[in-house]
Amino acid sequence: MCLGIPMQITDINGYNARCEAKGVRREVNLFLMQDAALAPGDFVLVHVGYAIQKISEVEARSSWELFDEVLRVQEQGGYA
Amino acid sequence: MSHDAAYWLRQIRSLHLTQRTRIMNVCGGHERSITMAGLRSVLPSTIELIPGPGCPVCVCPEEDVYQAIQLALQENIILVAFGDMLRVPVNVPKGEAHTLEQARAAGADIRPIASPQEAIALAHAVPDKHVVFFAAGFETTMAPVAAMVAAGMPENLSLLLSGRLTWPAVAMLLASDTPGFHGLVAPGHVSTVMGAQEWEFVPQHYHIPTAVAGFTAESLLAAFYSILRQLESGKVFLDNCYGTVVSNTGNHRAQEILQDVFSVTDANWRGVGIIPASGFTLQAAYRAHDARVLFAHTVDHTQRKRAGAMPPGCDCARVVLGRIYPNACRLYGRACTPRNPVGPCMVSEEGACRIWWSGGLRAPTAPTVSA
Ligand code: SF4
Repeated sequence: MCLGIPMQITDINGYNARCEAKGVRREVNLFLMQDAALAPGDFVLVHVGYAIQKISEVEARSSWELFDEVLRVQEQGGYA
Repeated sequence: MSHDAAYWLRQIRSLHLTQRTRIMNVCGGHERSITMAGLRSVLPSTIELIPGPGCPVCVCPEEDVYQAIQLALQENIILVAFGDMLRVPVNVPKGEAHTLEQARAAGADIRPIASPQEAIALAHAVPDKHVVFFAAGFETTMAPVAAMVAAGMPENLSLLLSGRLTWPAVAMLLASDTPGFHGLVAPGHVSTVMGAQEWEFVPQHYHIPTAVAGFTAESLLAAFYSILRQLESGKVFLDNCYGTVVSNTGNHRAQEILQDVFSVTDANWRGVGIIPASGFTLQAAYRAHDARVLFAHTVDHTQRKRAGAMPPGCDCARVVLGRIYPNACRLYGRACTPRNPVGPCMVSEEGACRIWWSGGLRAPTAPTVSA
């Protein structure tokens, strides 16, 4: 549950941002990011609907790969 | 500049390691990556990777879950919680709801949520009901919860808060006679919020090599290498192997909001006991939204058998403290599986039992972690 998922900001309206990750769209709250200059196109780490940190595109992409991998193993291993 | 997993493995193998070395992680996300990537099987056999206190749901007090169930059973209350919480069992006589999920089946209005924002939206949507948000989590999760409070809550929303801090559990282990580990992988996203420096006390006061890691195999192996290299050289320090995301001082604004909204108190960890300065409570200014104040007299734990304890036969508390591996529990994979979980460590996505089972570790019985 402590895991943040990288998402890309597509649109900002006050403390609310629309974000996207691999086709999934979410409303993300920016209240914890008040000190960061954020703009559409930027990547953030999102945890329970809140951005907690700005990250680079390279970092975002490497994490996405990781989640793909984890999900694949879980699907294969499954828990019966 | 970043190296791949094979590089870090070569580096680790080039060290002269003869002694058994136990490296503890304190993050369910780390444990998941370690297990899914099969890192245990590729490291030299002298190295043990131990899942430690990395699961806030696993240590959420039994009394709190019980209170959540009792509140949810009240007519005018809707209870919301992060999904993991719904299947955590309490100790009640047969026939009574022993999870939130069962209480829901019995008619209680209980809804899983994925974000504090959903609690706000729900409270606005049902002005004639009271919404209780039962929130467990470590610092990473408590910062968004604090943000929700600071931004202003609807009148009919309150918090049943079971938030915990990660580092005091590690400090408690280190201060004990048997910490059970020689190196520490510090958590990635807790440190994103709180800053890597929060872990400085581990090398400084206890001379235990420490490295902050991310969640890729590369980042974890880099952290293991750093820890092992520190042990070999005798020069112990706090390393940051996740510098692309974690800074030394963390997200200052998030820390300020945490401080404004919560105070830190001694707190109970299920099956473990009280750990000093390890829990978040709402500041007095938010009493009107504190479910512990609003519903202080709704439950009586003194009449309940095994109040506060783990379920009978469940060794989750020792799993959480890294004293045993999950499959050393007699119930692992027998009476206890994710489909029919006996204890919280098999319920939560961050519980070591659940992660090991999901990762395909099916054999019950295994090495115990000797202290
Ligand atoms: S296997 Fe089940 S019963 Fe055993 S410690 Fe884990 S959660 Fe508890």
